[in-house]
Amino acid sequence: MSYFLLLAVNGLVIGLIYALTAAGLTLVFSVLKVVNFGHGALYMLGGYASYYIITALHMPPLVGVAGAMVALFVFGVIFERLVIAPMYTDKVERKDEYAIIVTFGLTILLTNLGLVVFGPFAKSPPPFMSGVLILGPLILPYDRLIAAVLAIVLLVGLTLFLKRTALGQALDAVSQSRESAAVIGIDPRRMYTVAFGLGSALAGGAGALIAPIFALSPSMGDLPAVQAFIIIVLGGMGSVGGSIAGGILLGLVQSLGVGYLPDPNRALAYTQAFGALLLVVTLLVRPTGLFGRSHLRLE
Amino acid sequence: MKRMFEGCLGAAALALAALPFAAGSAQAEDPIALGWVGPLSPPGNYSGGQEMQWAVQLGVDEVNKAGGVLGRQINVTYEDTKGQPAEGSAAAVRLITKDNVAAIFGEFHSSVALAEIEEAHKYGVAWVGTDVWSDAITAKQYPEVYRLAPANSLVYVKAADWSAEHFKNIAIIAENTDFGQGGAKVIADELEAKKVPHTLVTIDLAQQDFTPALLRLMSQNPKPDAIQMVVAGQAQYQLVKQACQLGFAPTAATALIGSSGLLQKEVWEVDGKCAQNLLIVNVAQPKSQWNDKAKAFAAAFTERYKRAPTGVAMEAYDTFGVVVDAIKTAGSADRGAIVKALEKIKYEGTNATYSFPTTKTPDWAYHQFVDVPFTIIQYTEMNQAPENAAIVYPQKWATTDKILPEK
Repeated sequence: MSYFLLLAVNGLVIGLIYALTAAGLTLVFSVLKVVNFGHGALYMLGGYASYYIITALHMPPLVGVAGAMVALFVFGVIFERLVIAPMYTDKVERKDEYAIIVTFGLTILLTNLGLVVFGPFAKSPPPFMSGVLILGPLILPYDRLIAAVLAIVLLVGLTLFLKRTALGQALDAVSQSRESAAVIGIDPRRMYTVAFGLGSALAGGAGALIAPIFALSPSMGDLPAVQAFIIIVLGGMGSVGGSIAGGILLGLVQSLGVGYLPDPNRALAYTQAFGALLLVVTLLVRPTGLFGRSHLRLE
Repeated sequence: MKRMFEGCLGAAALALAALPFAAGSAQAEDPIALGWVGPLSPPGNYSGGQEMQWAVQLGVDEVNKAGGVLGRQINVTYEDTKGQPAEGSAAAVRLITKDNVAAIFGEFHSSVALAEIEEAHKYGVAWVGTDVWSDAITAKQYPEVYRLAPANSLVYVKAADWSAEHFKNIAIIAENTDFGQGGAKVIADELEAKKVPHTLVTIDLAQQDFTPALLRLMSQNPKPDAIQMVVAGQAQYQLVKQACQLGFAPTAATALIGSSGLLQKEVWEVDGKCAQNLLIVNVAQPKSQWNDKAKAFAAAFTERYKRAPTGVAMEAYDTFGVVVDAIKTAGSADRGAIVKALEKIKYEGTNATYSFPTTKTPDWAYHQFVDVPFTIIQYTEMNQAPENAAIVYPQKWATTDKILPEK
């Protein structure tokens, strides 16, 4: 039982961080109807932003996380205005292909710039808190615990923002119908900018939270990006609540799968396969994902 | 006037006749083109690749400053193979057909090397491997393929023997590549022969969270008293940190043994005090055995790049030296002549004096440099440099007979 508990808690903690990474991706998709293939690179950028705020400006780790989110929000707003915005005009005919190309381009650009600017060697900011929490059979490093708690705070905050604030409701309205939202006086383009900025900030926040747990490298966003794509499909494209549920579910399935697969040799190497299997089974049962809406496309 | 015209015509004819010779002379002074292959961007181990490239460039600058080879400068084209076999194969073809290189050298990933050597063999171009360990590379016995780095069988049999002497139940964590699986098999076979219980865990290099697998190992009864990682590069940082945070290893109950990726100073930044008491299989001479060349290289590398070179950088520098020596021995930059010359050379580098045997038994020994210096070191203090770490193996270089923390 204690072994199960250990695996479950580890899966839950990792799943919460997955959920935070995926929440930004799903927000962007929900409002802009754009799959942001550059999300992993923004996650990486957030990690480095936090690192330099902590080490160069001698700020506490939590300020590093907040600073990284602000920096990434600004970056996201600028990127959306300069690069994504032409997609809403008649200048771009093949909007889906345009979005894929520019967001893929963002990944390639940022990863390679990261190699040049940050260097090829691993970096790591100091932990949020050193040491390990031991509760009976439970062993949980404090930096993971704090990252999980902060992920919960950010996810709850995001949910409340979307449900309870005028701006959040405006974003939701645009996500449901751009034209209907425009009829009632909401400027969809402004909402696109806000959504992309928020999505980037969430990616940056996730990267900043994970930085002390794992390590920083220019390619650190590659795997989380793939996992985030699995999660948003699993949770339902465009559903923030779905991405939270999907992230936690993925973390649990991966952790328990590695812990209980009969072949210990292959168990860890199959981690991503567990996620893929979960996705296939979910889509067979619910083709729109756990909480998905059908027919999401840029109008 | 007519005579003057005839004179001009004669001079022009002479000048035209002399053109091929003039062109030949210019050609003789063209740089010798060499090709380097290795990972410089993801998903390859680009930190290892970067160190290798820096070391090679240092060697190139030194050789060119000293007048070059056979009176010609050296020009190295660097190809980023990204840790992917398809990239390696394409890079080798580009170097051979477009850049017209006299020889190819480098590489960090065995899987990529295995793709590159097929092209080198097809075109008859020498390929000299720097830090690729899979037995299969030299076991193919291609005349063009030479290797400075140890074959898995060369190092891991000895490492497994050492582990079998000190530990009773060993977990082997290996990456899912030719290097990792090959090395794990060598260790497992050796432990099997010595009847030491062992468990194999395969990992994907892209993974970051190894905690579930470590929890599984921790729950074994009896728990492993040593973990041997056959993992290249920085994935080991996560393994070290996570095993340490769980209170699993390195501890008095369970030792943790890694490889060259843990020699970079970043291990202290990422793993902090968790890196203390790490054991590392290090393919390099201990500092006490460094020759003048090694000392000069370490000083020049540190001055230029503001970091001390690891054994991998020394191997990269030596690989370039071996290729240059083969060109000198061949007396030309002809591809076939270089392939043959590599069999004859005896080159003193920073790490060893290199030669390549033609013995075909065991199969991996063909063109494999066999006297590879290697040690098992242990970090005993925070922020310790590898050259200052305690040496626990081999006996002749050992600075301690204790493995820390003591049981």
